[in-house]
Amino acid sequence: MHHVVLDRWSRGSSPLHRRDARAKIVAALVFLIVLATAHRSFIPLAFAYFAILIAAGFVAGLPVFAVLKRAAVVLPFTAVFAAISVAAGEPMRAAVLVVKSYLSALAVLILVSTTPLPELLRGLECMGVPRYLLMVIQFLHRYLFVISEEAQHMCVAAQTKSGSMRRSLFHGSRFNAAAGALSVLFARSYGHAEGVYQAMLARGFQGHFRTFANPVFRKADAVFVLAALAVLAGVRLVLEVWS
Amino acid sequence: MPPGLVGVAPSLVWWHEYFNRATLEGVPMHIPDGFLATPVWAALDVTAVPAVGYLARRAQRGLEQSKVPLLGVMGAFVFAAQMINFPVGLGTSGHLVGAALLAYTLGPAAAGVVLTAILAVQALVFQDGGILSLGANIINMAVAGMLAGYLPFRLWGKGRRRREAIFLGGVLSVLTSALLALSELLLSGVAMPAAVLRISLGLFVVSAVLEGAITLAIMQALESINPDFIRDPQSHGGRAFSLVGMAALFVAVIGVAFASTHPDGIQKLADATGIASRAKALIAAPMADYQLGVWRSIWLRKAGAGLAGLGLIFGACLVCGRLLARQRGT
Repeated sequence: MHHVVLDRWSRGSSPLHRRDARAKIVAALVFLIVLATAHRSFIPLAFAYFAILIAAGFVAGLPVFAVLKRAAVVLPFTAVFAAISVAAGEPMRAAVLVVKSYLSALAVLILVSTTPLPELLRGLECMGVPRYLLMVIQFLHRYLFVISEEAQHMCVAAQTKSGSMRRSLFHGSRFNAAAGALSVLFARSYGHAEGVYQAMLARGFQGHFRTFANPVFRKADAVFVLAALAVLAGVRLVLEVWS
Repeated sequence: MPPGLVGVAPSLVWWHEYFNRATLEGVPMHIPDGFLATPVWAALDVTAVPAVGYLARRAQRGLEQSKVPLLGVMGAFVFAAQMINFPVGLGTSGHLVGAALLAYTLGPAAAGVVLTAILAVQALVFQDGGILSLGANIINMAVAGMLAGYLPFRLWGKGRRRREAIFLGGVLSVLTSALLALSELLLSGVAMPAAVLRISLGLFVVSAVLEGAITLAIMQALESINPDFIRDPQSHGGRAFSLVGMAALFVAVIGVAFASTHPDGIQKLADATGIASRAKALIAAPMADYQLGVWRSIWLRKAGAGLAGLGLIFGACLVCGRLLARQRGT
């Protein structure tokens, strides 16, 4: 499934992969903020930023076409609002909506496909995000696929026994069957969690995850942040003054 | 399989999942980046940070250490629950959103943390919802929606009206988050003709009622498996949470009514109270001259004023809540 792709991409060894997670988070945030607050001379700016993101994708050794395609998942949502804007006689706003949301998604996608999730969360922890929340996120991501698989098994089991759970006519009994399936899934998840905690205790868990090495913010990371800041803000300033 | 297809197949699955979900929900729940005006997302991010910090601390205090994996696994459960469809007739089906259910089973603070974690994973791993708009999504769903859903359960969860309270909680959780998202979009100047607005309000109500029915059905099934799964409504979340829940409900309803029926109402209110001019002076002063032009556009000013108000209300609720909680010694 697609998440495995993301996991594989994030384990590369390009210069972008080697940067400290904090540097990449700051650079991505700068990108998002500079893009979100842009209003004037938007079209050349959008092209310039698109080029920067593609360049970043090449530097990171990512399959650029696949990345571009994955970032398009925001488009269905955006398209609805863009269509409404066009209908309301504001085609420019529609275009800005589509371009901004797509470029933002692309930037975040490049961030998460050059940084493994544990490193990303560790970086966020160093930046002051509550550790408790990050641990929950980590567990969620780890068990997402275990529980999803279980849900899939239940769907298949229900289909083999009763045809389909997506019949067209309303049946109270089918509704209740789905509720029953979900409550069983709930109970199993609960049980899983207890087992997981016992296993963690048995392996010496003391309240937080240990990592092999603490992240180090090197000189190259500082240079990367400054360069990102200079390029992104510079491009926007030049374009705005130039117009 | 040729290597090209290996890449295509998962993305097809993903597209199918996306459309499936988009059509099922029928409501814009996770706002991507690029939709909200700068004052809107900035105000909501600033509000979300202390809110999440407070929820995390409270959840950590209220639960023993063994519950950390539980919260994560329950987040995964809510994700997986979207795969199980509930038939509702005419070829359509819905699925659980889960904010109210989590609040009933884990308590409101822990539910807020789990929902925040879900939103973060959706934004980071699935590109579903933006990063700058994460604060808005958190406020809409994990804080306001969840607390509005918990409110009836806390008030009537023990009495004869328990079933109705559970149902109402499910309804309110979805309705509040959807209405808040809608009013934020309207405030940000996203064009929405009256017809579209009416249709989306109708969709919100349908999916809210569906969420109520699903939540009730699951709660009844859970009670028959193990009544311990459901928390005692009185034991969690002091008056603070109820207050914020009520305020959330209030803001959601008023916000949409205001933003939709009086497109100029916010402007008038801002002029009357002087928020707009003050905000303009406050923000424009330290900036270079060329930024001033931005503040002349009406919709931005409107958005700034409206969201400043919204942010103030939420901030005030949070502060009141904390004071009350401290007073009660909980």
